[in-house]
Amino acid sequence: MSGDGKDMLDTTVNKMIGEKPKITAKDVRVVYGDKEALRNVCLDVLDKTVTAFIGPSGCGKSTFLRCFNRMNDTIAGCRVEGSLIYDGQEISKHDPVTLRARIGMVFQKPNPFPKSIYDNVAYGPRIHGLSKNKAHLDEIVEKALRRGALWDEVKDRLHESGTGLSGGQQQRLCIARAIATEPEVLLMDEPCSALDPIATAQIEELINELKQRFSVVIVTHSMQQAARISQKTAFFHLGNLVEYDDTGNIFTKPSDPRTESYITGRIG
Amino acid sequence: MQDKHIVSSFDNDLEQIQAKIMKMGGLVEASIADASNSFLTRDIELAEAVRARDASIDELEEIINDDAARVLALRAPTAIDLRVILSVMKVSGNLERIGDYSKNMAKRTSVLLQMREIDNAASSLRRLAREVELMLKDALDAYIQRDTELALEVINKDRDVDQMYNGMFRQFLTFMMEDPRNITACMHLHFIAKNIERMGDHVTSIAEQVVFLTTGERPSEPREKDDRTSYDVKMSLDTKNE
Repeated sequence: MSGDGKDMLDTTVNKMIGEKPKITAKDVRVVYGDKEALRNVCLDVLDKTVTAFIGPSGCGKSTFLRCFNRMNDTIAGCRVEGSLIYDGQEISKHDPVTLRARIGMVFQKPNPFPKSIYDNVAYGPRIHGLSKNKAHLDEIVEKALRRGALWDEVKDRLHESGTGLSGGQQQRLCIARAIATEPEVLLMDEPCSALDPIATAQIEELINELKQRFSVVIVTHSMQQAARISQKTAFFHLGNLVEYDDTGNIFTKPSDPRTESYITGRIG
Repeated sequence: MQDKHIVSSFDNDLEQIQAKIMKMGGLVEASIADASNSFLTRDIELAEAVRARDASIDELEEIINDDAARVLALRAPTAIDLRVILSVMKVSGNLERIGDYSKNMAKRTSVLLQMREIDNAASSLRRLAREVELMLKDALDAYIQRDTELALEVINKDRDVDQMYNGMFRQFLTFMMEDPRNITACMHLHFIAKNIERMGDHVTSIAEQVVFLTTGERPSEPREKDDRTSYDVKMSLDTKNE
């Protein structure tokens, strides 16, 4: 609840610093084979802001999210056109491995590695050589688990398997794993769709904390969730970005009738 | 009109709550007319009927507010749906106030009918009330038809009401200065006129809700206030002292 006033303040602060974009997308078009999944998308992902992508299934929102860390590269026949600038450079020019350490991702279904809780979180820092020694790695793991709001629940069983946790805990483990490499942007593709309301609330609280340090981009089918946690909302429909605005505006007075139809649950 | 919701019971909820607003609006319109007519035709029974009707108006307001709270809790309305709910809550409050003022007019009517008549007072009050009644009718039509233009017309008409009230205020003041025996009646008459002028403000607020409902924005220009009686008292007293 305390987030509301702060969110408003954050939006104001963003405006004051000219809303510096973290990722800038210009005329992005994505094609699967001969099917166009996304066209002419221009959008700035702002720093230290939660951006929600909403829209009906198949509207291109997940496709767009996956462009940010080159996840579409792995799909045969998928072509990404246009310009996506991150850190002053085209995303396609970044090395995918380091890019994915800096732009982390959390998926719909929790997918912990079949390893211990500790190793799940330590995996990223290890392969990217972020830890100096064992003690430092312990520290990184503890910090990530604390920030993932999971530490108190797992501190006594760090060496048990990550897959033995409950669904909500597994998802928070995946988030801890994603933030252990200190990413600048965290992409979340429907991170709460398989969770109960309590676990969902914990993840939402976590997202609210994460945005003090990172940009969070979240794809969600729950419009209430988008309304609760994001400061910016983008509505996609049939491969088009229909509207991108402050979340407060989108949910009280959207400017496009298609957005209005969608968020109010009308056939549009 | 708007497309239908995928969940049709949501449409039902919204339609029913707005139907209740219309029902409440109808009762309030009748109360304004009956209250001013009861004075004009010296009809105590009609005045009593206005006082009795106020209970149903109050009850409807409560029902509407409960329904609105339910929709907020159960449907989590957004955008136009949210604006419908926010506006019904405000409009029902405005209607309830107008109903109260009508009841007050009816009460004073019962008292006034025992006193000596003041020239033209009943017909002037009837004219003023008629103006507000028509504004209310237009405001409610604008509400249900989502007619921003009509709502803006209503907002502009409030100035006429203010001016009419202004004139009556001076008239009553003159009567009181002419003959102190008029004071009690004129005080009642002035309260009635002032209450009708306040009804006009509530009707204007309803029309503003229509603009908010249709556009998502409140009407931008601040309305010019033509109720200048707060200055006129001083002016009149000054004139008298000279």
